[in-house]
Amino acid sequence: MSFLEVKGLGVGYRRPDGRLGPAVIDAAFSLAEGESLGLVGESGSGKSTLARALLGYCRPGGVITSGEILLEGEDIRKLDGAGIRRLRGGRVAFVPQNPLSSLTPHLRVGSQVAEAVRIHRRCGAEEARQATLELFAAVNLPDPAALYDRFPHELSGGQRQRVVISAALAGEPRLVVLDEPTTALDKTTEIQVLELVRSLRDRFKATLVYVSHDLNVVAEMCDRVLVMLQGRVVEQGATTRVYRAPAHDYTRRLIAAVPRIDRAAQAVAPAAGGEPILAVADLAYRYATRRRWPWSRGADDGRPALAGVSFAVAAGETLGLVGESGSGKSTAAAVIAGLIAPDGGNLRFAGKPLPTLASARDPATRRRIQIIFQDPLSSLNPRHRIEAILARPLALFHGLAGAAARKRAGELLGQLQLDPAFLDCYPRQLSGGQQQRVAIARAFAADPDLIICDEITSALDVSVQAQVLELLKSLQRRSGAACLFISHDLGVIAQVAARVVVLRDGTVRETGATAEVFRRPADPYTRTLVDAATRGYASLPDLPGTSAAANGTEP
Amino acid sequence: MRIDPFALRKPAALLGLALVAIHLVLALFSPWIAPFDPTELVGGRVDPPGGEFLLGTDALGRDYLSRLLHGGRMALFVTFTGVVAAVTAGSLAGIAAAWFGGTLDDVLMRLCDVKLALPGILFVSLFITGFGESFGVLVTLIGLVYFPGVIRIVRAQALTQVNLGYVKAAQLRGESAFSIIAREILPNTLDVVYVEFAIRMSHAVLLLSTMSYLGLGLSPPTPDWGLMVSEGVGQLAFAPWLVLFPAVFISTLVIGLNFGAEALAGALGLDASRGHVGGT
Amino acid sequence: MARAFLRRLALSLGVVWLVTVLVFVSTEILPGDALQVSLTADEAAQMTEDDFARRRAELGLDRPAPARYAGWLLAAAKGDFGTTIIGKADVTEVIAYPLRNSVLLCLVTALVAIPAALAIGIAAAYWRGRAPDFAASSGAILGYSIPEFASGNFLILCFAIWVPVFPAVITAFTKDPPSVLLGAAFLPVLTVVIGSIAHLVRLVRAGFIEALNSDYVERARLAGASRLRIILRHALPASVIPALNSAALYVAGLLSGIIVVEKVFGYPGLGLVLINAVEKREVAVVQAVSLIAAVIVVAMNLLADAAVMALDPRARSR
Repeated sequence: MSFLEVKGLGVGYRRPDGRLGPAVIDAAFSLAEGESLGLVGESGSGKSTLARALLGYCRPGGVITSGEILLEGEDIRKLDGAGIRRLRGGRVAFVPQNPLSSLTPHLRVGSQVAEAVRIHRRCGAEEARQATLELFAAVNLPDPAALYDRFPHELSGGQRQRVVISAALAGEPRLVVLDEPTTALDKTTEIQVLELVRSLRDRFKATLVYVSHDLNVVAEMCDRVLVMLQGRVVEQGATTRVYRAPAHDYTRRLIAAVPRIDRAAQAVAPAAGGEPILAVADLAYRYATRRRWPWSRGADDGRPALAGVSFAVAAGETLGLVGESGSGKSTAAAVIAGLIAPDGGNLRFAGKPLPTLASARDPATRRRIQIIFQDPLSSLNPRHRIEAILARPLALFHGLAGAAARKRAGELLGQLQLDPAFLDCYPRQLSGGQQQRVAIARAFAADPDLIICDEITSALDVSVQAQVLELLKSLQRRSGAACLFISHDLGVIAQVAARVVVLRDGTVRETGATAEVFRRPADPYTRTLVDAATRGYASLPDLPGTSAAANGTEP
Repeated sequence: MRIDPFALRKPAALLGLALVAIHLVLALFSPWIAPFDPTELVGGRVDPPGGEFLLGTDALGRDYLSRLLHGGRMALFVTFTGVVAAVTAGSLAGIAAAWFGGTLDDVLMRLCDVKLALPGILFVSLFITGFGESFGVLVTLIGLVYFPGVIRIVRAQALTQVNLGYVKAAQLRGESAFSIIAREILPNTLDVVYVEFAIRMSHAVLLLSTMSYLGLGLSPPTPDWGLMVSEGVGQLAFAPWLVLFPAVFISTLVIGLNFGAEALAGALGLDASRGHVGGT
Repeated sequence: MARAFLRRLALSLGVVWLVTVLVFVSTEILPGDALQVSLTADEAAQMTEDDFARRRAELGLDRPAPARYAGWLLAAAKGDFGTTIIGKADVTEVIAYPLRNSVLLCLVTALVAIPAALAIGIAAAYWRGRAPDFAASSGAILGYSIPEFASGNFLILCFAIWVPVFPAVITAFTKDPPSVLLGAAFLPVLTVVIGSIAHLVRLVRAGFIEALNSDYVERARLAGASRLRIILRHALPASVIPALNSAALYVAGLLSGIIVVEKVFGYPGLGLVLINAVEKREVAVVQAVSLIAAVIVVAMNLLADAAVMALDPRARSR
């Protein structure tokens, strides 16, 4: 008998019209005690829904429609209210994705963990407090006694996730379900949390179900993997087997689409010599805190967002700007685009000084510098048709109107492999990847010399990301525009950028050719980033061609 | 407007829209529908309903049905004019406050704080003490009472857009402030403005009829539901219909406006109370 | 936390000061002066220019507006709101007992309305989409759609005329002890509760639904916490915050309701004083009542801010 066995499981969500829309269809798998299973899939695949169903739970509006969930032979769907409460947090524990929103904001973190202890160990307040302090120590939280009385918003992201994990351990669970537990964290924090989860699994001999969109993480954490697509399990098996010899076409595309830093991609290199199209020197920016009183001066608290940042982008090349959250990379993008004025430093564009704010630049310069934002939906006005969105820069910068503008807009869509029929659609009718391609088309409509890409694929699924990156590269080669490509993902940077600048806390840590920097990082911080990015590669196979996914169509 | 037809087919939505439509027709066409002149003394004093005067007569012998049919005209005209002014001016001011920020924003927000500190009835009383209850004063006051609230709501909605990509992209194209407000921000604020208009209308009808009841709004001999209730209170014990009929007319109008506003908000997807569906 | 609160306090004082400017400008400067406002057309026609000048000098209206404002503000800060023009009565004395009576009515109403709104809002959210929710939501819309003067008179009709349980008109005097006033206040309180509860119910319902859909409630549920524990410990405090944040609106609505029911039931409170004063154009009384009401709204708002800080640690460090 397996430790956990799921048979014919179906979950549906109630739609506004009252009918059930299936989210998980006929899922089946089994898991031996002490094994760890990775649930892999893209957004909307049903992996989180399946994970929650293992605790007999659905999000509001959801119902388990069919199947059995046998935990040590006992069907948890047949448990009564008290039984299911003993199960949740007792034999089966759950670690949610976002540690900040998953802790009750008005309760001290210690009391929230102690609550779980008291529920499952049926002990007194003082005993629960001691047990909580032990749990805090077990998850390597510094100074447990002091942290006990803090509120969630007073902790760092990594600390919060440790608190959430300690709460999950309170009932000494046999099965732990983790739903993207590190997605909200920085790469360097993610490593520490993964390290912790692994050591705890070994120590408590717990069985793990690990939900993630990140194939590297799953490769590292899980013995077995289960791939989901649109609610269905398309493939499952031992991780090494699935990764090396994927049986299903979707799995193959998914694996091929993972951006890797160890693979020489056809990054866009600079044209021959000459003056850089963009040169920034000694850039400084500090967030002004809001003045509390009209007569008081804005206090400067915290670190500056940028301090003495210098780099140059050659004509036609792609420069990668990489860093974790808070490194100042998006601030740099906003300064160069002309959204905010820097506090110091100077900007040169095509050999001439560049005025700081976009409104102070002449129209030709505004045309030559374009930016693409992270969130595709909010970068397109929901009230304008795609045609109007693309026609605006065409009219403003090239004087095109009417049929000529429509023709050109259609061509731009064509270059991004979008059907010209989309011209008459509203942004909401498009998928995320399609929206981002329209945003790219809008940037290229201006016929720019420099494109700033601010985390343009971080909101997209991995297979869509591969496609968008390929299209961006081909458009860039055709137009000869340079690109400042900003990302937290080293794999993505390796795929598009010939040179890279590593930012941390608003300062440049390292600059150089991407392949060189990633192979032999000189700076210790860069090394940490590279180490974090190369984990789990051992089990990833070398499938031919990274661009396989780009040729496929989006689901 | 993207209207979700499902939301409009709910019974409450249909009831609301029907009530508003009936009241609009009555208010517009009452001179042709009403059997008598609402200010003429045509019958005995306090004739009970039935017979020649379908809903009886009031204490002066005026036909009650005719007065009821006319009773919403003036109130709707005053509130409609005032609320349109408040919503138009408030929307523009709210978007301007969100976009320009700084001193303009501060000044408008303090204005809102001051208004918020004075209940509507007191605000209106204050000005009526100085200026009297003329028609122009009432319209202006309805406008002034709802202006700050509209600013607040519209400003909040506009603020959510200021940092979105499509506004930033327009800024970087070098579009003028006017063009950004008119082309990018305003179209995405209109849904909120429509709902705001419906809600403020219901508030204004309530406020004006209350002021009339208190003797501080519309004055006799204008046929007005609020006034009719206050005139009928003296006969409450033996002629309760003199109070009940106008009360029903006001209440159905306000209920219609509120259900209508609710339905509109739901149809435009502004109802936040729906549980979320789907997801991984 | 103390600093954050002091900041709110300073802002509130600023708002009160702006209200005094508004009150003074709207009653004494824009329409002319207090004397012209308080005279009827007949009286004004009988007076000569000299009479006007003499009366103005008597009332101190011949001084420039800023000086009059400063004088009025300083006196008002000390609790002296001047005298009425017609009866030459001391305004502070005119409003003292009615103020007490209205505050009494307000307190009782709030004590009934707030727990009721919490209970109804939470029940509606907990069974959302089902019968209790439908009843609460429809009831809420009916409650605030029917004007208080209509529902008040309807209650009189039902419980004083058809089934005579309560008196139709309150016969209590202004200076009666609180117990007498409260004994007579059942129907007025009921009227205001029905009218003012709706907004609160909707806010609590929305806040509670948001809390129930939150990640932290999901986590607590998946940690095995019981329903009662989730509701009381995790969801309830968070769901009250949106309602507290719009406390100013609620208090303002409550005061409006109180003014109306005092007229409907003849309750000897500040609302009746105000209505009479507006009819007689007694500027000093209207100024005093407006100012007091504004101070009450601002103070209640401040209290609500303090409650939010107590409930939400994030608000404390802001």
